[in-house]
Amino acid sequence: MVKYIFKRVLAMIPQLFILSILVFLLTKAMPGDPISQAFIGNPNLDPAVLEELKEKAGLNDPWHIQYVRWISRLIQGDLGNSYVHKISIAKLLGDRFSNTIILGLATLVLTYLIAIPLGIIAGRYQDSWADKMIVGYNYVSYAVPLFVFALLMLFIFGFRLGLVPTSGSVDPQVTKGTMEYYLSRLHHLILPATTAALLSTVGTIQYLRNEIIDTKYKDFVKTARAKGTSEKVVYNRHILRNSLLPIAAFLGTDIVNILGGSIFIEQIFGYPGIGQLFVSSILQRDYSVVVVLVMLSGFLALLGTLLSDIILSIVDPRIRLED
Amino acid sequence: MKKRNYFLLTLFIVLGLLLTACGGSDDKTSGGKSDEKEDEVQLIDPEKDFPKKVDKRDDAIEGGTITYAIVKDSPFEGVLDYNFYQDAYDADIIKFFAEPIFAFDENYEITNDLPSAAKFEVNDDLTQIKVTIQDGVYWHNGEPLEAEDYAYSFYIIGHPDYDGIRYGDDMISDIVGMEAYHKGETDVIEGIEILNDKELTITWTEPKASLFKGIWPYAAPKDYIGEIPVGELSGHEKIRVNPIGFGPFKVKNIVPGESVEFVAFEDYYKGKPQLDGVIVRTVPTATIVEEIKNGNVDIASFPTDQYQIGMDTPGYELLAAMENAYTYIGFKLGRWDAEQGQVVQDRETPLQDKALRQAFAYAMDNASIAQNFYKGLRTPATTLIIPFFTEFHNPDLEGYTYNPEKAKEILDEAGYIDVDGDGFREDKDGNPMVFNFASMSGGETAEPIAMYYIQNWQDVGLNVQLLEGRLHDFNAFYDRVQNDDPAIDIYQAAWGTGTDPNPYGLYSKYTSFNLARWDNDESERLLTEGQSLEAAKDIELRKEIYNKWQELMLEEVPVVPTLYRYELVAVNDRVAYYTVDPADTDFGWHQVAVTE
Repeated sequence: MVKYIFKRVLAMIPQLFILSILVFLLTKAMPGDPISQAFIGNPNLDPAVLEELKEKAGLNDPWHIQYVRWISRLIQGDLGNSYVHKISIAKLLGDRFSNTIILGLATLVLTYLIAIPLGIIAGRYQDSWADKMIVGYNYVSYAVPLFVFALLMLFIFGFRLGLVPTSGSVDPQVTKGTMEYYLSRLHHLILPATTAALLSTVGTIQYLRNEIIDTKYKDFVKTARAKGTSEKVVYNRHILRNSLLPIAAFLGTDIVNILGGSIFIEQIFGYPGIGQLFVSSILQRDYSVVVVLVMLSGFLALLGTLLSDIILSIVDPRIRLED
Repeated sequence: MKKRNYFLLTLFIVLGLLLTACGGSDDKTSGGKSDEKEDEVQLIDPEKDFPKKVDKRDDAIEGGTITYAIVKDSPFEGVLDYNFYQDAYDADIIKFFAEPIFAFDENYEITNDLPSAAKFEVNDDLTQIKVTIQDGVYWHNGEPLEAEDYAYSFYIIGHPDYDGIRYGDDMISDIVGMEAYHKGETDVIEGIEILNDKELTITWTEPKASLFKGIWPYAAPKDYIGEIPVGELSGHEKIRVNPIGFGPFKVKNIVPGESVEFVAFEDYYKGKPQLDGVIVRTVPTATIVEEIKNGNVDIASFPTDQYQIGMDTPGYELLAAMENAYTYIGFKLGRWDAEQGQVVQDRETPLQDKALRQAFAYAMDNASIAQNFYKGLRTPATTLIIPFFTEFHNPDLEGYTYNPEKAKEILDEAGYIDVDGDGFREDKDGNPMVFNFASMSGGETAEPIAMYYIQNWQDVGLNVQLLEGRLHDFNAFYDRVQNDDPAIDIYQAAWGTGTDPNPYGLYSKYTSFNLARWDNDESERLLTEGQSLEAAKDIELRKEIYNKWQELMLEEVPVVPTLYRYELVAVNDRVAYYTVDPADTDFGWHQVAVTE
């Protein structure tokens, strides 16, 4: 398997290389640039200085020269600087990534906490009223747009009931590192994470339910029942274990997805993360940040599929990764 | 079949619950009054209908904390230094802990008559200023403010490694010896002479008519940041995480991108602030009205497009102030010749005829747009020097008011007649005329407004089409307008004016910001005279020059000013003192207090 993983990782290199050229070209093809933007509303500014700044930043060079400069730095591990934020991208991402990861992990855990029991109930008690409620919830959560739902949750729990803070990731008045600080972060996390989780359960519930219903009628289950195994053991041991396989396969991509952040959740809850950074960087033509973020998500997507394959091969002995 | 019914039922129940929850929240606040509003059209005059300040200082208490909201959909950038920031939202944070060394009067000119950190003397030919730092002004780290600190701002901005956008200002680049310093030829700026700890002089290469408005008024704490290479400053912790100033509040804690906690600076030179502290936090536009209604924020700029939802908000006062910006419609008449550094007005278009441009201007119904799309929070513009500049704006000029009959008359007289009967006028030789109108996307009203203008023009027989049938995003729009895309005939854009009324930078033929690419000798003469030494010394002369220029621009109409803008600030009833009135020149954040 080690050899297989090595092969897959090696195959990523040309994929990422092609992606980098494409992304670089497309970003540069966007009209405008990060420096010219500053001129709006600033008639005292000398256009010659803008030119000078552009020249200094190397924005006037032909694209292939800019590309080579950028990629050779990237290979050495230097992500470059943000034109807009004026700090190194590594540092910029550092701030945002911690937020995104915390929110993403909380969402993922909550999603599974909600989805797995619901999926099991729906599958086991198929066609009961509980199953119908769950399937109903599933359709609604699939259909409701995230931003509408997020606003609704915010209005009910944040503004009307006042149970949770309405924006931000932490109270500015608490000191970093204290217990209070972590509680405040948790408090700020509850609503965005729950909101995102409630709407992302659909795949898991549906798969789990179908899988359980499917497995229920398999021969080995009948055999187990015939041997006189108790219903509890049949479900927990024989059915559930087999039904969780496709869920395990999703785990890889799920983990990777959370790193991309959620634009709507971050925007509505005023929670600074990667998703917002991506959108604002595009609007501000902050090329260097856009390119790095796309490369990162491309890399993560490749990594995600690899992870899924590996997880699957571990939990399902029938699958063997070809060397 | 049965199964599906159950599902639908569940669905309806869930949806019903959601909708009730949703409707309930609105009913409480606005339901009662909304019926009355439908019948009457409310005309709003921002000048009269809104106060400019709240003042209950008699009820104020010592101490307390307020929450100030920055209404923004993405995190603030956090470049917290006047010499470096680019985003106006960052300036909104900086103002709490840093301030200019000079005081400004109601015309945005530096003055010695108000309390300030420094006093000044200017020589007769406006080439030199002598600045005297006052005693008792301290940085937040306890160091006194010194002449060196003020000089250091110029050393930062002029430095070859400086990565901000301030250098282009001629008040900075025209300092004697600045160019050599900027090129890295010398380490000393010859024109900045530090006389002693508290005094320095700055000398310019030529008389600076806009010295009183345009001088760079910010100091940098040299003891604190002097060791850091200029190229690394904008990303440094001492600017992004622990910035200092000599303003009324000290930064206590910054949560990057989302909030800042300030505490009162006891040694503030104008006196200890009334408040114990200020919390500044970003609030998304989607929820700001709700935050205000809930009393979660005390002072916040209020989104004007949600004004009707928020007008009855109890517990709040809405203040209105004119913004220093205007919207306009421009006609593309030429191109920018980068080699010669000037505008060349050589485009072949019927728009070269000023009669046609005047007809365009008369056909536009700005008053309706202001009322219908902006609820009166924008007002029809009259001249290119906005009323924000009370000294120079000429209130007697009416500008172009909506008059389609007059537009038709002008067109008929000038020979633009519909000869082929298609409803649109042809040019003087009988060839069809089609104009492409470029406008920016952004907000829900952008498209209806563009369509409204097009309808206005079509009503008088001018065939105008939306460029490529759609709106263009900010970057694409300016990219094409700046590069004189021949497809664009007419465009709608806006300018921020800053606090200097001098229009030279936007309309001279030697500036690339003259986006209409209009070249006129008379205008050039007036603009040059307007910033001459004589005009700087004689305010009446300057008024006269700018009056003539405003009239000339109305006659020639290379651009038509369309709307002036107002911004709203929501202030919680517990705030004892706050003002947006430019006449309150002594206002400072140290005076803001609360009643409870």
